[in-house]
Amino acid sequence: MPNGFIVPYGPQHAAFLEPFNLRLTVEEEVVVGAELNFGYNHRGMEHALAQDYKRTQFLAERVCGICSYHHASVYCQTMETMYGVTISNRANLVRLIMMECQRLTSHLLALGHIAETIGYENLFMQFFREREGVMQLVNRISGGRVHYSMNAIGGLRKDVTYEQLMDVEATLDRLEPKFLELQRIVRKDITLRRRLRGVGLLTKKDAVDWCTVGPTSRGSGLPHDVRLTSYGGYGLEGIKFRPIYYEEGDCYARTMVRMDEVVQAVDLIRQALGQIRDGPYQVPVKGNPNGEAYGRVEAPRGELLYYVRANGTTMLDRIKLRTPALVNIPALTAMVPGCRFADVAVITVSVDPCVCCTDR
Amino acid sequence: MSMLTSTLKNLFSRPDTIRYPKESTEIPTTNRGRVVWDMQRCIWCRLCERNCPTKAIVTDKERKTQTITRVRCIACRTCVDVCPVNIIKMESVYSQPGPEREVHVYGADMAPFEYRVESMPPSLRDASRLRKRDNDGTA
Repeated sequence: MPNGFIVPYGPQHAAFLEPFNLRLTVEEEVVVGAELNFGYNHRGMEHALAQDYKRTQFLAERVCGICSYHHASVYCQTMETMYGVTISNRANLVRLIMMECQRLTSHLLALGHIAETIGYENLFMQFFREREGVMQLVNRISGGRVHYSMNAIGGLRKDVTYEQLMDVEATLDRLEPKFLELQRIVRKDITLRRRLRGVGLLTKKDAVDWCTVGPTSRGSGLPHDVRLTSYGGYGLEGIKFRPIYYEEGDCYARTMVRMDEVVQAVDLIRQALGQIRDGPYQVPVKGNPNGEAYGRVEAPRGELLYYVRANGTTMLDRIKLRTPALVNIPALTAMVPGCRFADVAVITVSVDPCVCCTDR
Repeated sequence: MSMLTSTLKNLFSRPDTIRYPKESTEIPTTNRGRVVWDMQRCIWCRLCERNCPTKAIVTDKERKTQTITRVRCIACRTCVDVCPVNIIKMESVYSQPGPEREVHVYGADMAPFEYRVESMPPSLRDASRLRKRDNDGTA
């Protein structure tokens, strides 16, 4: 880059919630190249996870704070595949409800963060106000605001009561008009459209080349969603949904995917509440795990994959996790070139970077 | 324009934030705050100590005490689940953070769910103790 300056962006930056570093090559106001650096948050999680298989669930939950229940669920799902057990419909549906609740909190956080990054404090406050309602709901059901700790290998640790399910329904009835109002604002608001339209373009071809997953790929016109593979509760009768995707590939499309998924999550929880019946919530599993298995779920940021290998003792051999942020964040290097320097913050935030997941 | 109605509505409505130290949000009774013991009914089976994922609990059968390092506890409720005589319960309140390294001790001679605060014994400060127990596979 003969004519450009190199501007370091991060690891400490006001727009980032977590540390990673972008080295931007700029020519005047225009960014012409970007280089990514990771590893400021590395904790050696994969090594630590290969421990007593009963304890791993609690550590897996702590890999990430905003998709914690997805991590715990996919670990339990993988171990159930290894044991060869099929868990009850009730456990599957409760997991679905909690996973969608987590998707609500995560997407509302991401949307609030986008609003805050473009300087729209008012909208940021509104997103976080509604998010607090969901956080209090999951606290009432699971006992924790962030770490639900509801799963066990073979189902749930504790059954949910009828009153708790009614509480979910009542809270959603209260929150849904507010979500619809927010959706209307995001669709119509001129400030958002001007700041986000045409910014950070990721073409369909680039999205495939960079292997993006989740809302980042769905914002580029790829209807890729792991929930379509019908894992867990998503394959049960009466649970129907279509992946939301937008063709534009800019920051606005990614924002709209998240906003529409908030409304869709409410719909999925309602469907699950309609299907849930009394029944066993746990299938007993016997003995130590042996063999290898993998499982994947659709976390709020995209496909989350766990691979587990066990050797017949209580200690696991190896756990490999492929988190969605790990593939979404490098796609930034395809989005950033050609944009103005001031837009880099919002482009970064629009892929919803989760460095806890990435570095782990 | 779409934001204007929402802004006006919010301008004249009650704030959603609360004045935190003076008032607090409603903490549900199901909240996993902290673990407490009723040691008078304890049968010393050590299941809570053995199943604790973070090794926060130390059972001393001779002194008839249960010691918990609050900073290590992740409030996962495993000890409550495994207790065969149901003497462990989870309170919805959290323990306060403090400037000293402390442990909470529950004794058989104390009232149910009451604890005394002691400074952390040197044996618990040694991190290698935890690693050693992690690796022997007997967790």
